Amino acid sequence: MLTLLARFFKALNSETGAWALAFAFVLGMIMGITPLWRVHNLLILLVALLFRVNLTGFLLSWAVFSAIAYLVDPISHAIGAAVLAAEAWQPVWTAMYQSAVWRVVQFHHTITMGSLILSALFAPILAVISYFIVSRYRQHIQRWFMQLKLVQMFKASRLFQIYAGLKGE
Amino acid sequence: MEQRTVRRSAFRWQGLLAFIIILVLLVAFSLLLLNSILKWTMEYNLGQLNGAEVNIAEVDHHWSPLGLELTGVELTDPAAPMQNRVVVGRLSATVNVEQLLLGRIHLEEVVSTGIRVAQPRRSAGEVYQLPSADSVANELRQQFANFELNLPSTDEVMSRLQLQTPAAIAKAREQLEAQQTKLAEAKQALPTEEKIKSYEQQVKAITEADYSNPAALARAQQEFEKLKQQFEQDRAAVLAFKEVASESADTIKALFAEVRTAPARDLERAKQLMQLNSEGLSEITAVIFGEQVQQWSQYILLAYEQLAPMLARSADVEPVADERAQGDWVEFAAASAPPSFLIKHAVTEFVFGETQVEVDWQNITHQHAQLGQPTTFRARGENSNLWRVLNLNGELALTADGVDARQQWQVQGIQLQQLALAESQQFAATILSTLLDSEGSVALRDSQLSGGGTVRLADLAMQASAENKWANVVAQALQKLTHLDIQTDVSGAMTAPVFALHSDLDRQLGSALQSAALDQAETQLQGIRADLQAQANGFLGDSEQDFNEILALVTDAENREQRLQSLLKAKLEAQLEDKLKDKLKGFLGGG
Repeated sequence: MLTLLARFFKALNSETGAWALAFAFVLGMIMGITPLWRVHNLLILLVALLFRVNLTGFLLSWAVFSAIAYLVDPISHAIGAAVLAAEAWQPVWTAMYQSAVWRVVQFHHTITMGSLILSALFAPILAVISYFIVSRYRQHIQRWFMQLKLVQMFKASRLFQIYAGLKGE
Repeated sequence: MEQRTVRRSAFRWQGLLAFIIILVLLVAFSLLLLNSILKWTMEYNLGQLNGAEVNIAEVDHHWSPLGLELTGVELTDPAAPMQNRVVVGRLSATVNVEQLLLGRIHLEEVVSTGIRVAQPRRSAGEVYQLPSADSVANELRQQFANFELNLPSTDEVMSRLQLQTPAAIAKAREQLEAQQTKLAEAKQALPTEEKIKSYEQQVKAITEADYSNPAALARAQQEFEKLKQQFEQDRAAVLAFKEVASESADTIKALFAEVRTAPARDLERAKQLMQLNSEGLSEITAVIFGEQVQQWSQYILLAYEQLAPMLARSADVEPVADERAQGDWVEFAAASAPPSFLIKHAVTEFVFGETQVEVDWQNITHQHAQLGQPTTFRARGENSNLWRVLNLNGELALTADGVDARQQWQVQGIQLQQLALAESQQFAATILSTLLDSEGSVALRDSQLSGGGTVRLADLAMQASAENKWANVVAQALQKLTHLDIQTDVSGAMTAPVFALHSDLDRQLGSALQSAALDQAETQLQGIRADLQAQANGFLGDSEQDFNEILALVTDAENREQRLQSLLKAKLEAQLEDKLKDKLKGFLGGG
């Protein structure tokens, strides 16, 4: 976990694109909030590996949002149940239910459906917020931050040793 | 710090390689553990359907055609955790891949062999859902434990008897005294013997007197008329007395007859009361054969008892509201869509000792409305080691109201040997050998059973022993049986059938028990008989003289009445006229 954090700080302070980090957070969030053993997560993994998305940010985001998912599951269940029970959508769901592809996606599971909707709605917000924070950090906070006494002490710590020992991506 | 932007390709091709490696590892891992995953999944799901632990010794799969093979499937009986309700030696099934991709489990061909019911387990199985009704077997065992017969004591019988003999004696004695009083009063009005003799002397004097002239004759006539009037009055008194005396004699005679017969009637009632106090007398067949018939019924009602509850549970698709963390799987099946679970054809091979029976199943599902057809099953067997003919067929469908089903069976020439019916310390009974025929039908409507059948036991040889004297009577009677027809009625809920058994044995054993009870009671009855007879004889002996006196009074009255009657019939006028004419002739002609 320390290595993961160290890698994250290194990426944060490196020349890695802010959008690459933001997308990594978004992909990790989707994978973390939705149930793990679903076909769509393979797609997320493929995107995270195939595209130059920051893997450290992806893994960290996945870990954080997996923990948050336990709190979000009841909301996901409620959203999924409401959407799947919506009268107007019944013909669509029934048609999808007859399709092998959609059955494999497991759209008819309340938490899967609800968490996908939730993460899809939250994805652009998280992307923009992440991009804004990373950019602001690099522009205004990084230098001030590095001069803090606390950070100086941190630089002498074990975590920083790991951080310093890492080579860039 | 100057920011330097490096423009690199958006793709990371080594990432694709990593993805493929991860994918291959996942597939390899799943394949490696697939049999174990299938085993755990099936044990869990079948356990939920069965209501108790299910164990599968081994699971194997094959890809072409896609299928499964299970070995050593044991379904714990929820009512008896130390027993498996069904054991399946081997089960193989082929899976329809197309339907599986659509999330439906359609098994094309299922073959299960080595099926045995009611087999002991090595260790107790976990029970998830207890059967709702009490076990019928336990109920019957309880009945047998309660099968105690009691003979009432003499005191108990006497207190309930309300004896007629003393009452008849008291009544006769009272009536005798009353009649005697009545006769004594009536006797006051009776002409005395002296008076009648006086009448006879007066009549004799009048009739034998020598009248010399008509005037004397006329006077005699007047005197005779007066006498006749007295005769009439006295005769009327005698007749009245005679009537009273006769009535009294008849009354006393009838009462004495009652006294004479009362002891016999009392004894008959004492015999009736001195019978066995047991409600079980009318349920002997159920007590002795009930448990065995219930075991046989497990074969006959196998489809209902085993399959239907599982299908009913699998049909229970109500979402579980509190399991939010797991979520719910919502079904969007159209009314005409194929069922989500279907076994198109299955062959199950049941094992009975060394004999096997193949049961052919079609369309096993819990969604019969979607399929539009019921589940059907058929078992046939001829000339096996165990039976001559076996026909069992039926159908079963789950509806919105429950389970609807019907089945018929006919089995002939089942050879049974050394079949223990009861093995308790108090009573043991074994069928040494018999030929069993059975036929009947059972229907299920809204999960309620109705129907019945006949079990015929021919060439029956039984061995029975007992400690209790009454149970011993049953044992002896059973040993004499050569044939027995048992009528069975089935009712109650599908998962807890209730059997009512009737046969001629109830009547036969009932009378044998009563006869034995009367033999046992004979000493007590003899005492009662002697006592009653002594009472009756004592009264009759004492009262005989009184009765004879009444009879003598009647005879005496008859005698007096006859004498008065003869006096009344005396023809005085003619006699006197003849005498007078003779006198006149002599006086005129001869004088």
